[in-house]
Amino acid sequence: MDAKACHGLTVASPYLVMLGMDAEMLKGHLDAVVLAALEAGPAHGYAIIETIKTRSGEVFDLPEGTVYPALHRLEQAGLLSSNWTTTPSGRRRRVYALTRAGTAALRERRKSWNRFSQAVDAFLRGPHTWPA
Amino acid sequence: MAGLIDAYIAELKRQLDFDPALAQRLVGEVEDHLREAAEADPSWPSVDAERRALERFGLAREIAAQFAADAVDRQAKRAWATLLVTVLVTLVAMRLRTIWLGSDATLTLAPLVDRYAFLAAVGVAAIGWFAWRRSLMPLIVCLAALAASIIAGFVRAEFFAADAPLAVLVPALGEFALMLLLSFHVVGLGRRLARTAALRRLDP
Repeated sequence: MDAKACHGLTVASPYLVMLGMDAEMLKGHLDAVVLAALEAGPAHGYAIIETIKTRSGEVFDLPEGTVYPALHRLEQAGLLSSNWTTTPSGRRRRVYALTRAGTAALRERRKSWNRFSQAVDAFLRGPHTWPA
Repeated sequence: MAGLIDAYIAELKRQLDFDPALAQRLVGEVEDHLREAAEADPSWPSVDAERRALERFGLAREIAAQFAADAVDRQAKRAWATLLVTVLVTLVAMRLRTIWLGSDATLTLAPLVDRYAFLAAVGVAAIGWFAWRRSLMPLIVCLAALAASIIAGFVRAEFFAADAPLAVLVPALGEFALMLLLSFHVVGLGRRLARTAALRRLDP
């Protein structure tokens, strides 16, 4: 695997880590996955990543930093809102929540994904075999 | 103990220097994430726990590149929206100039530039929107053509010599102000495209 040095660390490039088929497919759907991860309620970045890993059965093991550009993009689009909170230990953290537009967008993306996945599934099963 | 995470945060802030407000906002969030990830590691407290948290997070440069690419999209949208408004205001200003000057206005080069440079800008904008929405070139060509049209319009109407009515003067100043705003967006888009390309290059 290609890797680069950063502060004495060997850090794999996100683009190269994501060469696995599942991760590569996830790249195009990251925004929808993040929206779905927030469906259960507001959460901060680390918790969102953990939710994505857990709910996907560890299949979506994407570089954790890639979730932040997605969160920022979704917030700019008005699909998420965020605010700073303070943890019991005194640490400040930004918590994200779905907006009404975000909930509607998630519903729409879910429908669109269902149509798409059914079509791909039907296609990949191969041509119909007609009875003689 | 906090050395690795601190160094990473400093590096991320440096890579995000194209947007200081974003850098300021993100570093606190990322630091919280990295410290939580390190603390969740079974070997915490240790340098290895921090190292693993950073490895899972990804390179600062590549995260900055994703933010830069999103910023290019936003800047391009703003530039095209400004271009659309500039075209509309220029059209209105041209029509008002024509009404004010009448059909017997002196036939010099200025009216021709005013009209045809505007038409060229509209043509390039239409093609650019459909074919090269994220490219700088159609915006530069549109800006140059609109600038030629607007300057020719000022010369044609002799704004600085004649006593132009307010209804003609205000749109003319509006098109001039929008041209300056469009120039600002084009320069900003150029800088962001260059920054994104630099961040995406693997070699420093």
